[in-house]
Amino acid sequence: MPIITISRGSSSMGKAVAEKVAARLGYRLISREVLLDASSRFNVSEMKLEKAIHDAPGILERYRHSKQSYVAYIRSALMERIVDDNVVYHGLAGHLLLKGIPHVLKVRINADMERRIKIVMERDGIPAEEARLRIQEDDKQRRKWTHSLYDQDPWDSSLYDLSICIDKLSVDNAVEFICQAAETDGFQATERNRNKAADMAIACRVKAALVDDFPHVGVTCEYGNVLIYVRAKDSVAGKLTKKLNQIRETMDGIHHLETHAGVELPPDAV
Amino acid sequence: MSIIIISSDVREIEEMIVGKVAEEKGYGRLDRRIINDVAARHQVEPGRLIEALETTPSLFRKLSSRQWRYYLSCIEADVLERLLADNLVCWGLAAHLYVTDISHAMKIRVLAGKSSGLAKIAEERGISLQRAETYRDDEMARRKKWSLAAFNQDETDLSRYDLVISLDQIDPVETVRTITGASEYRKFQVMTYSMKCLTDLALAAKVHAVLLKSMADVKVQARDGSVVVSTRASTRQKRKKTETIKALAGQVDGVGYVEVHVKKNFLKETA
Repeated sequence: MPIITISRGSSSMGKAVAEKVAARLGYRLISREVLLDASSRFNVSEMKLEKAIHDAPGILERYRHSKQSYVAYIRSALMERIVDDNVVYHGLAGHLLLKGIPHVLKVRINADMERRIKIVMERDGIPAEEARLRIQEDDKQRRKWTHSLYDQDPWDSSLYDLSICIDKLSVDNAVEFICQAAETDGFQATERNRNKAADMAIACRVKAALVDDFPHVGVTCEYGNVLIYVRAKDSVAGKLTKKLNQIRETMDGIHHLETHAGVELPPDAV
Repeated sequence: MSIIIISSDVREIEEMIVGKVAEEKGYGRLDRRIINDVAARHQVEPGRLIEALETTPSLFRKLSSRQWRYYLSCIEADVLERLLADNLVCWGLAAHLYVTDISHAMKIRVLAGKSSGLAKIAEERGISLQRAETYRDDEMARRKKWSLAAFNQDETDLSRYDLVISLDQIDPVETVRTITGASEYRKFQVMTYSMKCLTDLALAAKVHAVLLKSMADVKVQARDGSVVVSTRASTRQKRKKTETIKALAGQVDGVGYVEVHVKKNFLKETA
């Protein structure tokens, strides 16, 4: 059975759709739990993680690479949660964090601006103009975040399998479409797809362990064989050897670990 | 009873999905086969109309901005008039960009997806997958530029469509089933009000096409047979232009009253 990610702009009814899809299919519904997992596992406050996945990196953060670290932690925590599939994830950036796993049904929910304004006005008790500005600012941040970390636009249609506009279509219609699409062959969790997800989870775990000290690291994993791509100058550091030994000893599922220095990152590296 | 408007990033896929949806629903197809009729009605060359749908104005092709807008307005007027017949699947005529705020018109975008779409392009053009990707990206950028120039709408914007389906993992059979299923929803059924909106839109487009034949820079709105035309003119030309617009628009079937709003054209004023 597939993994479903539901992405949306703020106040676009995505949460309601996700809840109904999970209830209908009997899947686990996850969102904030991923941040809590990452927070406790990597000892970073939930607020910092939330900010990392929501706001675009500032000038200083671009040099400190803290955002890359936080995103790697969140990605690793998310991978652990979805590896057993039958999951609906409606937290931020699911379609990007789970890129590369074949049985992920990536859904985008769009809502008409006026409808979004109405929801924010009712929820926060603010006038229409303030609600509009708040939504626009939120959309702007999402756009900047996706551009800065993934060089893509969240409104780019090629990122999604299904994009539904909750305007003429209702939440129930959207649920119907998503459940229908989830049953198609392309999204079924075959043995091969499951292996790929498990490999990705290992790669994300290794990356999360290294990213603090080596922010430019890239990791791939195939059948438990891990390839680590580092910059040439990082490969001579004793710290890297020490870290790799630690990873070998503590992490399960790794058969072989190999380092490549000064080589261009492959496109599927996390 | 509804109108289904389908667009895609790959023409062959668009045609295939349209064919299947039309067959499944028992609807008629509205596509570029009408171009010859449009050309005959407006006394223009069919090739020029196709060119207007594909390209932006260019000196090299001897297609001025004014001609281009006129050709597009002819197509728009004809398509909107034909859409009044209902039970149609429309494609290839840019209707997704000008059929706006009509609740019974369902707009669908079908994306070829990275794997299947690129393979199709590569096979058809005899090029590598990498070159096919560059070709597709260029084509998308070109279409985006065209749609913004022609109707001030971004064709690639997700929020313009009721449903966007990528064929990467969802197969065409499932896509057709989803589209036909969605078209049954109550929100896409014809209502008196949505039909009235379409009639108004069609009348405005008809008047627009008539006016663009002899002048540029006009905007037209219509409501229950009353037409409001907005344009620009210098103080000297204001009266004459108003009279011309009233005379031309008044000849169009269905127009009962014409109101003209003229803004000052400062450029002509200073010249």
